[in-house]
Amino acid sequence: MAANSQKLPQKESGIFKKVVRSYECKQYKNGLKFAKQILSNPKHSDHGETLAMKGLILNCIGKKDDAYDCVRRGLKNDLTSHVCWHVYGLLQRSDKKYDEAIKAYRNALKHDKENVQILRDLSLLQVQMRDMDGFCDTRYQLLKVRPAQRSSWVGYALAYHMNNDFEMALKVMGEYRKTQAPPQKLPDYEFSEMILYEVQLLMESGAYKDALKFLEDFRHYVSDMLAYAEIKGDILLRDKRFEEAELIFHDLIHRNPENLMYYQKLEECLNITSDENRMELYRVLKEEFPRSHVCRKVPLGFLKGPAFRDMIDQYLRPPLHKGVPSLWIGLKALYENKEKAQVIEELVLLYEKNLQSCNKFHPEDPDPMEPPSAILWVWFFLAQHFDRCGDHRRALEYIDKSIDHTPTHIELYMLKSKIYKHAGDLEEAALWMDEARSMDTADRFVNCKCVKYLLRVNKIDRAIETAGLFTREGMPPLQTMDDMQCMWFQKELARAYWRSGQYGEALVKYHEIDKHFDDIIEDQFDFHTYCMRKMTLRPYVGVLRLEDRIRGHRFYFDSAHDIIELYLYLYDNPDAKRAKDAPIAEEIEQDLSHLSESERRKIKRKQRKALAKAKEKAAEQEKEKEKENKPRHDDDRKAATDENKIKFNPKELLNVEDPLNEANKFLKPLQSMCTGNIRTHLLAYAIHSRRRKYLLMLQSLKRAFSCDPENPTLHCYIVDYVLTLEKERPELPDPVHTVIDDCIPRLTDGGKSPDELNQSFIAKHSNSLEHLVAAAQVLYKLHPDYRTKAIAMVTNLSDSLIDRSLRTCRNVHKFLSSGFLGDCSDELASYSSQCHALFPFASSFKPPVEAGKELESSPASPGDAPPCVGVAGRSPAAQKES
Amino acid sequence: MNIRQATPDDLLNMQHCNLLCLPENYQMKYYFYHGLSWPQLSYIAEDDEKRIVGYVLAKMEEDPDDIPHGHITSLAVRRTYRRLGLAQKLMDQASRAMVECFGARYVSLHVRVSNRAALHLYENTLHFSKEDVEAKYYADGEDAFAMKRDLSNVAEMIAREKRDEPSRHQKSLPGSRRNKTS
Repeated sequence: MAANSQKLPQKESGIFKKVVRSYECKQYKNGLKFAKQILSNPKHSDHGETLAMKGLILNCIGKKDDAYDCVRRGLKNDLTSHVCWHVYGLLQRSDKKYDEAIKAYRNALKHDKENVQILRDLSLLQVQMRDMDGFCDTRYQLLKVRPAQRSSWVGYALAYHMNNDFEMALKVMGEYRKTQAPPQKLPDYEFSEMILYEVQLLMESGAYKDALKFLEDFRHYVSDMLAYAEIKGDILLRDKRFEEAELIFHDLIHRNPENLMYYQKLEECLNITSDENRMELYRVLKEEFPRSHVCRKVPLGFLKGPAFRDMIDQYLRPPLHKGVPSLWIGLKALYENKEKAQVIEELVLLYEKNLQSCNKFHPEDPDPMEPPSAILWVWFFLAQHFDRCGDHRRALEYIDKSIDHTPTHIELYMLKSKIYKHAGDLEEAALWMDEARSMDTADRFVNCKCVKYLLRVNKIDRAIETAGLFTREGMPPLQTMDDMQCMWFQKELARAYWRSGQYGEALVKYHEIDKHFDDIIEDQFDFHTYCMRKMTLRPYVGVLRLEDRIRGHRFYFDSAHDIIELYLYLYDNPDAKRAKDAPIAEEIEQDLSHLSESERRKIKRKQRKALAKAKEKAAEQEKEKEKENKPRHDDDRKAATDENKIKFNPKELLNVEDPLNEANKFLKPLQSMCTGNIRTHLLAYAIHSRRRKYLLMLQSLKRAFSCDPENPTLHCYIVDYVLTLEKERPELPDPVHTVIDDCIPRLTDGGKSPDELNQSFIAKHSNSLEHLVAAAQVLYKLHPDYRTKAIAMVTNLSDSLIDRSLRTCRNVHKFLSSGFLGDCSDELASYSSQCHALFPFASSFKPPVEAGKELESSPASPGDAPPCVGVAGRSPAAQKES
Repeated sequence: MNIRQATPDDLLNMQHCNLLCLPENYQMKYYFYHGLSWPQLSYIAEDDEKRIVGYVLAKMEEDPDDIPHGHITSLAVRRTYRRLGLAQKLMDQASRAMVECFGARYVSLHVRVSNRAALHLYENTLHFSKEDVEAKYYADGEDAFAMKRDLSNVAEMIAREKRDEPSRHQKSLPGSRRNKTS
């Protein structure tokens, strides 16, 4: 019951209604005016509901502090008012404190059980927070209060669906449908969607036969013919009713001849026993669907020997004649099979020869001569072919020939750039991509590639400027890219910052990506009501399920992976943040004692000048950034909403107290959404080992082991764990011992010692460089006197290695430079020159004179760091030095 | 190349493809809006590695006074996948769904007046025609052509297919189990 002082007389009560109406119509100024009329009367100055409403309106015009103040005062004055509680909940909701908001709504409902608005608001929060039991209760209340509304029924059914209670969901939908007359005018989209939703419920409950019957009974009302056919086909196929399913999938191919899945399902319907059978099927289908690309391509996958040769010969010639730049990419998957790659090479080299001698792919071809462009596309194809085969020299020869032939094709320059990238010369790659970009400045695709390649060589300013050619005018490019959630760019930029030692800036970019995922989860909110009204329940359920695992997306995984590694690096190297802040100050400290006094003064003067200049530049940059961060006076609505956006500050992020704690925050989503990816568990181990959480370390090892027991990094970690335990064991409580003793045998092949483990690991993986690098680390850790052997293991470059690639060799190089094995400068020099012979274009291995322009990368850089360096304790060499 | 209807799981990757290819970009919420309002109308083309290389993002214009018609919000194909006819195949699928599910009579779109390649594609390959010029349609101040394509031939095709269905079904495929029973 409301306190007496809280009851307004008739006149004021009328004004209060105006306050509410003004709020609903977004006439905030009027609302505040009316509220003032009530509150300025000393008798009503503490009227709770008016104060609450005033606060709500203040919140809408951005006066958050005043808003909270008003709403709290209002609530204090009238704790039994549902309005005050509702408003308090709305305020919490606008701050995304959903748990608090739910509590407030529940309090509001205590004082007004059947308030539809509050029930609705509560149900939205519950589904958003996935409180599905609570959601179900609230939807039941709503149905009781508003049984005539469709959304009441649909919402109630949906709540059961989300709780996997299909029976109740179907019952509710059925009850509702019975009250509805079927539509007269067709197509009726909403009715059709409702029918299909019931079919989906039946399918998910496993009642396929009922689903099919239901679908057929209501076939007349289903306007989504694609869904109808796909569902029917799938159920028939499940039921092994092949004859009927065949018709459906044949029809579906007719409808969309480029859908690979239809062909696969059609094959399931048929009785195919041999490749000849299968080929015959595709021959017939190709006749029926002459424009289908799938019909021509699928046989390339399963045919072998001469049949493959004939088929690929037929497949290649028309697009080489016409000029289809994507021809080669479409065949990339075939290169898994070495023989097929060989056949393709022979064939296309033959085309080259024949075109040069008689302008035909085959001399005996009846067709007229090929156009002059045919040889161009043959060369273009061969360049990609040799690039894929690792013969970059030949690839470049071919791409240069094609550029000489037709210097105006952008695709050719893009490919040239790509070959340089694969060959390991990123500088040259960036140059050629920029050349391609300059030839068509209106094409965003080549612009994006250019930006990416510039970032790969840490040309950050140039990259941002180039990206800015396509971003909104009058706004800093970084802001637009962030507004548009351009995550590939932010990830590449973060890595470039990292490589350049700008760790704080890198952290900002990674946090921005993380924020996008928060926003994407937030995006659902408005659709809860919307989809129930629109009846698009099937995609709605799809989106709810997608959101539950959205951070499993590779954009999140990649950036979370990077930022965790960066936090680990910052934890291991607490000086890193300072070192990069004041590189010039460091130089000043250099030893000048061997110089004469005047020389010393001269040098100092020079340095002071340089320092001042650098400071000036830094201040300028700071200003620039500030400008970027300031809200702009743009009348665009979007810009206005962005004022509320969180701005991350590089310094604050860098100076975080506990980097491991931060790393752990990014690990959590990976642990729930990327459990199948071994890197999740390896990262977990890296974090937990630094926190000395022995059981969590063990858990990570077990999970990683079940992903891939042979993983090289995992091997290092298992040995690391066993060695750590030997030292720490006495300090651990008994129950921990029991758990560890239970699990260790499985991880160590029945309790082998680290030495034995490493020996069998080497024996098993003697032809894998990646594994040998891991084994060498373990060997050296166990026996520092085996250094020579460890070095020999990793510098192995024999032809028998299965993974001797630019990437793995670069990792070996990095490993040797890391100092883990002590000073390896002699070995590095000889290793580099051997690698230079293997990878002549790779800048990492160019002799020092040539490598003047080589990239300077910081000791920790994202991506391809060698496994496990720096985990749980330094290397013996590093320890000796310290 | 595989062409299929877009699912909610594709939306984030469609946004990525859009950001790579076009200057007009949208936040995820706008993709959700399309996927949750007209789930039948958007299609994607993906390569062997399941990477989206082209897409069409489409909607219905919901003005009750107007005759029902669809609108192409965005259409893109990665530059490296041009000349395969993907744009046309994507548009064919979207247009058909507009007619079947929503009774669309025509489909409209906007294109930059300077984008000759796209204009050529829409006019010559996809049979759109210019209706109007919308001044300063784009954020950078450029004008747009408003274009339209009549969908009555699509409606006729659907009707014809329904009529021909029984005869099409008389053809049997190699390996068909239907032969044995008959």
